[in-house]
Amino acid sequence: MQSTVWILLKPRLLSARNGLKPNEQNGNRSRLVLFSLIGVTFWAGAFAIFYRVLRYFQNVQDFGDILAMKLLSMMIITFFTLLLFSSIINSLSHMYLSRDLSLLHSMPVGVGDTFLSRWLGSTFDSSWMVVTFSLPIFLSYGLTYQAGLAFYPIALCAIVCLCLLASAASSLLVLLGAAVLPAGKIRTLFVILGVGLALLLVLVLRLIRPEQLVNPDSFASVVLYLNSMQALDWPWLPTTWITDAVRLALKREWGPSLFNLALAASCFFSLMFFTQTAAGVLYFRGFSRAQTTSKRLFTPVKFHGYSWETLLNFLSRPAKAFAVKEIRSFFRDSTQWPQLFLICALIVVYLYNFSVLPLDKSPMKTIYLQNVFSFLNVGLAAFVLSAIAARFVFPAVSMEGEAFWIIQSAPVSMKTFLWIKFFLYCIPLLILSEVLIIASNLLLGVTPFMMFLSIVTVFFLVPAIVGLSVGLGARYPNFKSENPALTATSFGGVLFMLLSFGLIALVIMLEAGPVYRIFMSRMHGHGFSLPQIIWFALSFGLALFLCVFAVFYPMMLGEKNLLKR
Amino acid sequence: MIKLINLTKDFKTTLAVNRLNLEVAAGEIYGFIGPNGAGKTTTIRMMGGIIEPTDGKILIGGIDMSRDPVGAKKIIGFVPDRPFLYEKLTGMEFLKFIADLYRVDLRVFSRRAPELLERFALWQWKDEIVEAYSHGMKQRLIIAAALLHDPRVMVIDEPMVGLDPEAVRMVRDILKGLARQNVTIFVSTHTLSLAEDLCDRIGVIHKGTLLAQGTVAELNLAAKTGEARLEEVFLTLVREL
Repeated sequence: MQSTVWILLKPRLLSARNGLKPNEQNGNRSRLVLFSLIGVTFWAGAFAIFYRVLRYFQNVQDFGDILAMKLLSMMIITFFTLLLFSSIINSLSHMYLSRDLSLLHSMPVGVGDTFLSRWLGSTFDSSWMVVTFSLPIFLSYGLTYQAGLAFYPIALCAIVCLCLLASAASSLLVLLGAAVLPAGKIRTLFVILGVGLALLLVLVLRLIRPEQLVNPDSFASVVLYLNSMQALDWPWLPTTWITDAVRLALKREWGPSLFNLALAASCFFSLMFFTQTAAGVLYFRGFSRAQTTSKRLFTPVKFHGYSWETLLNFLSRPAKAFAVKEIRSFFRDSTQWPQLFLICALIVVYLYNFSVLPLDKSPMKTIYLQNVFSFLNVGLAAFVLSAIAARFVFPAVSMEGEAFWIIQSAPVSMKTFLWIKFFLYCIPLLILSEVLIIASNLLLGVTPFMMFLSIVTVFFLVPAIVGLSVGLGARYPNFKSENPALTATSFGGVLFMLLSFGLIALVIMLEAGPVYRIFMSRMHGHGFSLPQIIWFALSFGLALFLCVFAVFYPMMLGEKNLLKR
Repeated sequence: MIKLINLTKDFKTTLAVNRLNLEVAAGEIYGFIGPNGAGKTTTIRMMGGIIEPTDGKILIGGIDMSRDPVGAKKIIGFVPDRPFLYEKLTGMEFLKFIADLYRVDLRVFSRRAPELLERFALWQWKDEIVEAYSHGMKQRLIIAAALLHDPRVMVIDEPMVGLDPEAVRMVRDILKGLARQNVTIFVSTHTLSLAEDLCDRIGVIHKGTLLAQGTVAELNLAAKTGEARLEEVFLTLVREL
């Protein structure tokens, strides 16, 4: 007889299998090929980078090993933080918010089995990416240190243990949270966790101070340097056991390595025992309370009879209606919030890192470096923007969901609908990007020319990325998704990321040559020849054309597709 | 007021609607009945401008849906078969959203929205988010929204699904009242007693083809069923094909 948990997992497994079946209409095969190619590229890239870094560390006298082990420890701590974050989000949606839960709870199945099946699904969803992309890292460690064959299964067990620990701890936290919070406020957990995790991320990144890896001479002595690097290696942390299991296996100290692994595994089993016991008592009660309609976190504030909507009065009526609807839906959906907080945290870290860049330690001229960084900063900010667009702008059309009939039957053309979406996202993202660029350039202390160039480049790149995102989001929408935000990882989402990265790279490459020439001539006081001026005009012109094309063409494709539906 | 000319929708795997021709006059209530998968919803979705026909024309109040979809939609009140709405908006906010899209005059909106919410027994829920509404409440909100801009044509797919008996009677009375005010109503339904009671004329569609249309008496004549009820007529016509 099949176990109940297995039966409960079957719909998911069968759906996954059916989804992978070649289907001419959906182009599943081409999607599979594209995803596999991207996966292999990332995998190979991660391996190449880590292998190169570790080989470089090996050449650093005395410090090589310490640096490599510090990197390992940092990586595991970062993985654990990411795992905690994604496990909490996944546990909440798998255990309390999924649409199929009502059906599941109506079946003659014990709470323990239901919980375990949901926990397994949630653990898989939150961990597979970390496990997949940690493997090339462990492979590069194994090859650099010429580890024995047993290192690889131990490393795999260690990362799996890390995932299980994070998932068990997160589920326990979510179970307790759902039991303690008043009914209707359970979704608020997302908000609380979002703030907490954003703070944790900033804290962890600042505690491990990655810039120290490249700047050991800022410490008076080797002992001080080593001490500062022990910041997060507390012996009672599971991450320390996992790090030690991998570290000792690298050095072929199998006994102590397995001991650390056993320590982590036993911690997981005892945690899981508590989680499963707690689930028996709390899970159904929490689920049942979560069925209450969520209460709004904030009630709208009016000032002298005017609400925030008044600020949008400059828009046409349909545009304002869309803007108000979009803003309200976004802020009332607390599942969106953690990612918003996380982005804020990343921006803080991003800007902070510019302030601690050890430019003066470089053998190159500081002014030269400052401007090179400023130029790279444009690309980096655009990449960050692409990621934000993939998460928030690309799903914007799909977010209409099953209510898309309202737009289809409304007296507003599809073109207007798409352009309203475009401007709704373009304006705030443009402001965010310009603030980011200006602030980081001020921290770098760049020349006025670089400041001007960065501002102008971003001014054209942002609409291009938003246009690409809205257009492709309309070309590859999913109105039936339970969580439209996940369309960011669909075929269209990945295609958007690839095209967006390609566009940014092209624009940066087109500008790089002329910018270098202009910058050097300013430093040396030279003028420009006519061919050089023609070259500048062509390069900047082509970059501008690419940006304009990226706005209009995808929007046209998107409109065409929506009209065909 | 409604004119469908050779309307066809071919989904490649299925011919959902096959050269459909019909006309509905102003103030008439036209019932559209047929078994599951007959092509009712596809026809209604084409009339609402939600999907494009493969062939044929849809004229609403003389406006060609393919040439001026925005103009045609302005005079239609569309009610789909499933009440999918923006779950995070309140009932009143949803009506305001619709009013803005249809450019309903703000003074008219401030008078009409409370009136409709009252009429559809939603007034006390107006500030609750739609997520909290029951299926029937969502259905009532959609009907209220469709009436907000005083449409000249109502295109309704399964209006009574999920409604309690009181709401069914209320909607039926509202539709009859609208027809008296010269509003044209095109309604698809599985509830044959409703079609019999409500509609001036009825069209029977099966496998994408219009089998027969007319009053119940005319349908009886076509099906050679004497003075049978609509249910008997319907089953006879469908079985014959």
